[in-house]
Amino acid sequence: MGNRTFAYFLALSLFGEKGRHISTVLLSILIVFLLSSVLFISSSLHSVIENALREEPDLVVQRVEAGRLVNLPLKWEEEILSIRGVSKVTPRIWGRYFTGVKGKSFLVIAVDFLDENSHKTLEKLIGETELKTFLDGRHMIVGYAVMEWMKSHFYKEYYNFIGRDGEIKKMKISKVLPKEDNALFADTIIMGIESAREIFGISEDEATDLILDIPNDAERDFIADKISSLHYDIRTISKKESRAAYDRMFNFKGGFFLSLFCVVLLAFVLILYQRYSQVYSREKRQIGIFRALGWSMGDVLKLKFLETLSVVTGSYIIGVSIAYIYVYILGAPLLKNIFMGNGNLDMELILPPVLDFSALSSIFLLYALPFIAAVLIPVWRISVSDPKEAML
Amino acid sequence: MSYIIEIEDLQKHYDNSGERFHALRDIDMKVRRGECVILKGISGSGKTTLLGIMAGLDHPSSGKVVVDGEAIAKLPDRHLSRFRGKHIGMIFQHYNLIENFSVRENVMVPLVPMNLDFEEVERRVRESMEVANISHKASMSAGRLSGGEKQRTAIARALASDPEIILCDEPTANLDRANSERFVEILSKLHDMGKSIVIATHDPIFDHLPFEARVVHMEDGRVVEEGRES
Repeated sequence: MGNRTFAYFLALSLFGEKGRHISTVLLSILIVFLLSSVLFISSSLHSVIENALREEPDLVVQRVEAGRLVNLPLKWEEEILSIRGVSKVTPRIWGRYFTGVKGKSFLVIAVDFLDENSHKTLEKLIGETELKTFLDGRHMIVGYAVMEWMKSHFYKEYYNFIGRDGEIKKMKISKVLPKEDNALFADTIIMGIESAREIFGISEDEATDLILDIPNDAERDFIADKISSLHYDIRTISKKESRAAYDRMFNFKGGFFLSLFCVVLLAFVLILYQRYSQVYSREKRQIGIFRALGWSMGDVLKLKFLETLSVVTGSYIIGVSIAYIYVYILGAPLLKNIFMGNGNLDMELILPPVLDFSALSSIFLLYALPFIAAVLIPVWRISVSDPKEAML
Repeated sequence: MSYIIEIEDLQKHYDNSGERFHALRDIDMKVRRGECVILKGISGSGKTTLLGIMAGLDHPSSGKVVVDGEAIAKLPDRHLSRFRGKHIGMIFQHYNLIENFSVRENVMVPLVPMNLDFEEVERRVRESMEVANISHKASMSAGRLSGGEKQRTAIARALASDPEIILCDEPTANLDRANSERFVEILSKLHDMGKSIVIATHDPIFDHLPFEARVVHMEDGRVVEEGRES
């Protein structure tokens, strides 16, 4: 076929019959947009989790009594440190502080700011920390949503915690965690361990958990078993288990995705059906005319393949681009609520841009192949029949 | 004598639920180069089926069909399609235009698979539209044309590939008297150009053509009478 003549004719088929393609293109864009949006959000969240896990301790030790988490004695610190392979043990206070407002709570993580390791971890999270600020025990770092919530309750610079003894403990906000960390740290408060002891009424020889450094990855499971055998009420949480917990945190939204996916799938099947029947009714006559006027089966298939490929590729590029703008520039309004279902504070979810090319290619293939087949199969069936019949 | 179409002992039957229906029986026919043949007969006499077989749109059950020296029934799809596109121009009863294409684009359809330069395609389209007297409607979509204009577009399309043979199936069935007469005028032009023409029709307007034509009468799938009219 003369390339220019064929290209002209292809353009004519695509743009000369806008009505034929418009509903297909719009629905296709919607499908690709929905699938890509979900993919962008989940890729972004996974990258957030991956980053967070990098900062997670190698092993966390807790105490369980009658199935309930209780404070652990700091004398365990020495016992655990004596196990070969454990390079450092740091006490930590970790727990939820419930405000007077129903259902609202902050996740308090309290560490020893003087401890070199804790300090380094914090630096990774919030950048350079002014160590001196925290030494007075009256300062805290808050997540973005905590700051917003406090502001809306007239605590612009500080917050009054009510301690276990009923006394008010006034803590100043010295830093706010960046919005980009909202996915995991929106409702988090970081403070010095002594301040948390005062608020929660935890004595100096206790902590809620111990965080361990185990430099050799291969030894972690073995050391965890060893630690577990030290006391009957000891519980260990490895990085692997933390990952599973984070995954559960986001995977509970799987139901929403499944529903969304079913809707998308249904729409896709409808498009395929529409395209299939369209080819059979409207295009049957056109294909018959082409065949009667000297087009071979190959010529017809080539035109329809390129026509469909153009529609599919065009819709795909537009759908992915809109999804990128929607998720990474506009912040996925509406859809992000699915991910924030368990957040107890209102927050803005910031999704760092992540492009998973293998998943994007899979979407293209899963979407393009059935689509092209839904056009080419009837075209082929019409082409093999007598052209005369196709025109009736 | 040079024949452009040679048909020998042609049979065409359809099998339906164990019953055999004979559409064409024992057809022997020859069409000379530059000759005009009128196939006459009532509906169901087999004219359109015979025309379809000559065009390679339909396959005979048995017999020989040679068009321009090529036994078309035995050609594989790709070659048959190319052969049809190059040697045969078809004019259908219902015009068979693509309604949302313009006149120019409809005329272009048979030229797309012919591997021609775009300039050559445009030249052929322009010339065919001039012969069919439809150039003034080149940009109008086929769906907005009158019956006569549609017919002239179909003629231009049939001429675009410059075929030796023009096959017309009931070309005036949907035209009024004036448009039918205009069609005959164009047909006369095609005859003067040396085209071999076969027309399946029962319109009496073809009884008095301004050029020499051979009439073949068909009945129940058979050729019953042959004559010459002018």
